[in-house]
Amino acid sequence: MRTTRIRRTALTLVIILLIIACFLAPYAWVVASSLKNQFTVFGDVTPLSWRAFVPVGATIENYVSLFERTNILRALSNTAIVAIGQVVFTLLLCSMAAYALTRIKFPGANVVFMLILLTFLLPIEAMMVPLYQVVSGLGLSNTLVGIMIPWIASPFGLFLLKQAFEELPAELEDAARIDGAGHVRIFFSIVLPNVKVPMVTLGLITFLFCWNSFLWPLVIVQDPARQIIQVAIAQQGSPTQLPNWGETFAGATVATVPLILLFLLLQKYFTQGMATSGIKG
Amino acid sequence: MKIYSIVFASLLGATALGATGANAQSTPACTGETVTLRILRTPGNYPYPKPMEAWQKDNPCVKFEVNEVPFPQLADTISVQAASSNPPDIIVYDGPNTQSYAAAGILLPITKYLPKGWDDDILPATKAEHSYNGEVYSPGIEQTTVAMYYNKKLVEAAGVKPPQTLAEAWTWPQALEAFKKCQQGPAGAATVWGLGPTRFGNGQPGLVYQDLIYQRSAGDPKVAPTSSAYKTFWAFAPDGKTAEGYLNTPEAVEALKFYQSMFNAEGVAPKVGIPNAFFDAKACFYIDTPAAGNALIKDPKIEWGITPLPYFKTPVVHTGSTTFGATARSKHPEIAAKFVVDMSWGEYAYMNVSQRGNLPTLKSLFSRFDVYNKYPMKVFVDQLQSWGQPRPPGPKFAQYDKIVSEALRGVAFGGNPAELMADAEKKVQRILDR
Amino acid sequence: MSTGEQTLTVPAGAKTRPRKAATRRQKQERLVAVGFLAPFMLLLLIFQYVPLLVMARNSFYDYSLLNPAAEKFVGLRNFADMIEYDDARRSFGITFLFAFGVVVFVIPIAFALALFLDSKLPARGLVRTMIMLPVVTSSVVIATMWSFLLDPSNGLINGALDIVGIARQPFLTSTQQALPSLIAMTLWQQVGFGAILFLAGLQGVPSELGEAARIDGATRWQVLWNITIPLLSRTTLFVVVIMTVFSLQAFAPAFLMTQGGPQEATNLIVYHIYNTAFIMQQAGYASALSVVLLLVVLAISMVQMALLRSRWNY
Repeated sequence: MRTTRIRRTALTLVIILLIIACFLAPYAWVVASSLKNQFTVFGDVTPLSWRAFVPVGATIENYVSLFERTNILRALSNTAIVAIGQVVFTLLLCSMAAYALTRIKFPGANVVFMLILLTFLLPIEAMMVPLYQVVSGLGLSNTLVGIMIPWIASPFGLFLLKQAFEELPAELEDAARIDGAGHVRIFFSIVLPNVKVPMVTLGLITFLFCWNSFLWPLVIVQDPARQIIQVAIAQQGSPTQLPNWGETFAGATVATVPLILLFLLLQKYFTQGMATSGIKG
Repeated sequence: MKIYSIVFASLLGATALGATGANAQSTPACTGETVTLRILRTPGNYPYPKPMEAWQKDNPCVKFEVNEVPFPQLADTISVQAASSNPPDIIVYDGPNTQSYAAAGILLPITKYLPKGWDDDILPATKAEHSYNGEVYSPGIEQTTVAMYYNKKLVEAAGVKPPQTLAEAWTWPQALEAFKKCQQGPAGAATVWGLGPTRFGNGQPGLVYQDLIYQRSAGDPKVAPTSSAYKTFWAFAPDGKTAEGYLNTPEAVEALKFYQSMFNAEGVAPKVGIPNAFFDAKACFYIDTPAAGNALIKDPKIEWGITPLPYFKTPVVHTGSTTFGATARSKHPEIAAKFVVDMSWGEYAYMNVSQRGNLPTLKSLFSRFDVYNKYPMKVFVDQLQSWGQPRPPGPKFAQYDKIVSEALRGVAFGGNPAELMADAEKKVQRILDR
Repeated sequence: MSTGEQTLTVPAGAKTRPRKAATRRQKQERLVAVGFLAPFMLLLLIFQYVPLLVMARNSFYDYSLLNPAAEKFVGLRNFADMIEYDDARRSFGITFLFAFGVVVFVIPIAFALALFLDSKLPARGLVRTMIMLPVVTSSVVIATMWSFLLDPSNGLINGALDIVGIARQPFLTSTQQALPSLIAMTLWQQVGFGAILFLAGLQGVPSELGEAARIDGATRWQVLWNITIPLLSRTTLFVVVIMTVFSLQAFAPAFLMTQGGPQEATNLIVYHIYNTAFIMQQAGYASALSVVLLLVVLAISMVQMALLRSRWNY
């Protein structure tokens, strides 16, 4: 009995160590290396030593150069603007649509839902060219609005909220309806306050999605003053000049840290939302 | 550095004086309608701010809006923007694409805007590269080519003496011996590489600009046009109709086997980029444009020299550079064309060229760049004059460039040269057939 | 609700044609529904369906992005080219192989991780956070990070191999190792997501079932194999769908790490489409490839959804 328990504990420990080595070590390497010059980065890897994961003799030179030489601050603030805008509008539009589909009886609801569901499966990456034609035809190329607008009507978001709305008991609004409340009031004062968790989940997922998007912003925006963070770090090298490793790592760190902090803060919602979408998928 | 700024200051003074003389006004003001020219360029590329500001003194009604994209995304961006409802007025682009953009109706022909005497002053290779169906589409600002830099200390320590003149230039096998002698650490995982990686693209081998010259130099332009040696040298039918029989030739395959061995069996060159390897003394030899030399003159991190680019049979280097032009659908074609032409002529051209340190395209400017009159930088001028060849031109250059680069990279990574070149020929043909 | 053959054309306004005259209240309800749905549907139509139609139309044309005005109608030539040349076949083949590789490894490893997380574990939240880190990290950062991890001369993985005495590997520069390297990277990136989904599934399995079986003398292994896994088949299918669709749409790795090489070994279909449109300047052919990809994704999802509905709908 005792030996099996020891064996189990040892096994658990080994697995945890493995997980740390696989998932945490690369991040530690990136962050530590962002605080070193390139040859220290190389030197710590060949031969590999523990120093690779620890910022021994740290220097902030990479960050200084990154912020001085590139537009990264601007890119960060652009990304924040786009992401927040996208979150706000996605939440608003998706919840309104979900409300209509779950709380109002009207003919053709199934057709509408099918239309929405179908777009869930569109490989949007493969549609960049026509999408570009549409967005630039509307005069929105090279604008922050152009970055976010195609993704606001998110079928995934609608899907997630529709499920949450369906779970709300009908009695909740019946009382209000008897009192003579219209749909607008029911929506804002009764339904929305009761779906806070899925709303936060969707907001967080939208924020993540927007913060991490790359191909579309790459195509639609050329003006460096309107560039967003992922494109900025993918392109941080000066022309025909490879960026040095330390600086690339610094860029990756800057692009990732805000998001990881946000994730740690709201992790509960994220895993919950992901899980529910999966279970009932 | 100091000399440069003094030159600059006096130049600016001169232009300013000229402006006051002409306008008889201390601050020129715009009296008509303001025009905004939108420029798409790569970061750190011309047109540079100083000549632009100077130009604005003469053209006070023109404002600029500059959009920048990194070089690897430049061609994609142009293809997206040029077709959009609101294209930029001026685009900076890779010179060999001129014919492609001209054929697609993106570029505005600027022949009629060119100043008197331009035809006599421009380098013939530049003019040829930027012309299509008898019209000039870009005046060109700078010309560049690659030579082989070396780290003096490392090379001397290895007892290697690189030649300094074209007449004594190494062949590739001689160069390989030097790489091997100088390299430190195990083959394929060196601490100091024999031949450092490029700083272009993502640092991996295969770029047409730099690596197609291996096989081209194994060819011979003086033999019968039907021979494989002739075709090897041109690497593309001179009439631009086919690549079949031009890439997969016995001579090319032989050269490519050698090229491949440098990255594999001999292990003297890395397969992936190492930023700043040469400038940090982690490579003995290194292939780059004059810009690298001029950077080293300003900031001599290492002691260095230049040796002409090695060859197999016929010495050859690629010419060409980024260039710029006005767009055909610009809303202000006259002003855009005037700006483009002005920027590449006279003092403006001098200001633009001296900023980055590549070679000018106007013969009259050569004398003003002292640095090119003597070794080491003179090697570039000599190479351009004696060995220079444009990259295989034609309206499908961009596709050819991508397809052949992929094939060359495949060879460098260990693929079968004959198969890869045959495949590249087929792919190029497919594009040409459309 | 009687839907019948009625259709709702939302952006055109409230033009519904009910079979029977609707009451005033019903009419009003419809108007409200339209109001609530209109913004969403309008954006959906403009940014999803219009591009879709444009793309479908373009697939019958030959044109370049540089000069779209010079397009010409070529009928089915773009589709015929897909058969005549082997680029589409190869790219789809590689993409399927990639998707298959990702799914085959994600499922068991994510499941094992979920089981591990479901056990009595100290610092469970911490472990869960760790495996979720790659899920919230952008593909650009992950591609950058892994380019450096896999670098043949100065990469961390080669440094680690060196210590245990294994020869340096070429990884992304080798035709044999490039695709497996991308699969490993994607596995690393997505496994946390899979594990969270499985974990939620596991927590939904009533524990009494397993306990009862254990009392009847079943081993832990038997409970896992005969009770837990069959009960999770719905979750499993969902994870398979998600991972397949993710993998079929992967772009950043090919774009940032390999440019589809070496020798097209990682020429994933979305990158191939991008390359065909933007660099090869064959936007018509690229549209045709997109149409085929769309049909493939639709077909796969339909089959998987049908399975979800029919067999595991309890």
